[in-house]
Amino acid sequence: MTESTKTDEKTSAPPAPVRTSAVARWRWGALAVLLVLAVYAPFQLAPFYVFQLTMVLVYAVALLGLNLLVGHAGQISLGHGAFFAIGAYTAAILMEREALPYPLTLPVAAAVAFLIGLGLGVPAMRLRGLYLALVTLAIAIFLVPLLKRFEELTGGSMGLTLAKPQPPAWTGLAEDQWLYFIALIVAVGAFLLVASLLRSRVGRALHAVRDNEIAAEVMGVRLSFYKTLAFAWSAMLAGVAGSVYTWVIGFVSPDSFTVNLSINLLAGIVVGGLGSLSGPVLGGLFVMFVPSISQDINDAAPGVIFGLLIIAVMYVAPTGLAGLAGRLIKKIPRKKE
Amino acid sequence: MSDLVVDGLVAGYGDVRVLHGVSFTVRQGEVCAILGPNGAGKTTLLRALSGMVRTRGTATLGGTELAGRSPDTVARLGVAHVPEGRGTFMPLTVEDNLRLGAFVRRGRAEVEADLERIFTYFPVLKTRLKQEAGSLSGGEQQMLALGRALMLRPRLLLLDEPSLGLAPLVTRELFRIVQAINAEEQTTVVVVEQNAHLALGIAQQAHVLETGRIVLSGTAEDIRADEQVAQSYLGYRV
Ligand SMILES: Nc1ncnc2c1ncn2[C@@H]1O[C@H](COP(=O)(O)OP(=O)(O)OP(=O)(O)O)[C@@H](O)[C@H]1O
Ligand SMILES: [Mg+2]
Repeated sequence: MTESTKTDEKTSAPPAPVRTSAVARWRWGALAVLLVLAVYAPFQLAPFYVFQLTMVLVYAVALLGLNLLVGHAGQISLGHGAFFAIGAYTAAILMEREALPYPLTLPVAAAVAFLIGLGLGVPAMRLRGLYLALVTLAIAIFLVPLLKRFEELTGGSMGLTLAKPQPPAWTGLAEDQWLYFIALIVAVGAFLLVASLLRSRVGRALHAVRDNEIAAEVMGVRLSFYKTLAFAWSAMLAGVAGSVYTWVIGFVSPDSFTVNLSINLLAGIVVGGLGSLSGPVLGGLFVMFVPSISQDINDAAPGVIFGLLIIAVMYVAPTGLAGLAGRLIKKIPRKKE
Repeated sequence: MSDLVVDGLVAGYGDVRVLHGVSFTVRQGEVCAILGPNGAGKTTLLRALSGMVRTRGTATLGGTELAGRSPDTVARLGVAHVPEGRGTFMPLTVEDNLRLGAFVRRGRAEVEADLERIFTYFPVLKTRLKQEAGSLSGGEQQMLALGRALMLRPRLLLLDEPSLGLAPLVTRELFRIVQAINAEEQTTVVVVEQNAHLALGIAQQAHVLETGRIVLSGTAEDIRADEQVAQSYLGYRV
């Protein structure tokens, strides 16, 4: 609210169309370079680093979903990790018990997470702010004991161990490289899907809900419908990420999906940059590396270091790392002129 | 005929009743001004018409019931509401704001044509299309709000204090445009306004609302001529 009154009073009109398109071109250029690097990287790095990058991509897919809900539709979720877990377990159970070929587990995991997201989203999305935060937190909290209960299916607290997908011989790739490329393809696909969704009429509706509910309503946007849809889609993307996680790790157990995961994901997308397209990737780096860096800095209290790092980033870049990068990029063409 | 017929409309927030049975009719293509002091329930009346508060009583547009419907249904029925404070989507571009106005409409080509038509009323918007709406001036935002409402191709246009926070010159320009829209598009308009003089200038009928009841109705000229009304209800001298 204070934000809007601030901009309300601003009368100057700074961003001329010319510069906006220059920034857009810059952005696509950067994206192309990034993609080339992403294809090149696994041939240059040691398997352990390739594995780490793979996990960054997995988290980025989950964060694409969370970004849709939090950054674009303006809702909050402290239970995103639960849908990640649902996707991971769906894939694991199908591979283990049904002997389903692994690529087929992804669409099933997506559908299951979407439907559970829809079911929980219908009541949850009637709530706002703190109440919504609490209800989604409850989802994350109840999930772990629930997984332990259905032992015949989920393997209980022992979890399930699976054979990782092997690269077909014609690719000539090592296992870590193969998994990396699978994750990269899924991530690029998810990215394109979300980007085209956001450019459509539906994307505009989500932004309208986020920016001004009352105005959105009188435009004819059904608030509950679009909020619930955003929740279900975000759950679906978390489910997709979860299924790839299962392929990459080859193991699922309740302890991998505690409340911590949900909180890390939310912290990741806020730090990465809410509502920006590069936010999920930067957030993925954050989720992957910052907890272990915190551990390295101080083994006794990683939580404290983790919290301090978040505070530090938010202090330097209140709109997230993507916002910081955006501001730096915008400065470049101006300096050259 | 698409007249707006409001009959015994009761509305409020929770247990607090704000409108106590409001009745009036606006003929198709006419402009109706709703005047009254702060807190009279003018905004609540518009909200009741567009489904944003719970109501009793009826309000029909061309025979179709509006009261008790959800806001998105009312929008689909052709009612565009420019809410108090304009309701700009600040971080979105001017273009996205305008396109959201046509959210419930199908037919791409028509929407594109209407976009061009709106630039004839508000040329300034065309030069600001890719700009964040939040960076527009107050007057430009009000024009955006009006243009966005027109993107619905409304049968009924509800305007809540369009003059709020605007310089007199801009306000006059805005009312001139509302009058032009009303004349050219045959859009029925209900306008709530503190600036009674301007509102009465473009209205055919006017109603004075006080603590949730209509205390005076008449043609715009009658209301304007009524010296006593001017002083007691409108707070200004003609
Ligand atoms: N959301 C709300 N919840 C509870 N009461 C409300 C709400 N909005 C308005 N009211 C009350 O309803 C009454 C009428 O308010 P309304 O906004 O309709 O007045 P108004 O005629 O538009 O006044 P103004 O000229 O100041 O805009 C006021 O007493 C107000 O306190
Ligand atoms: Mg009001």
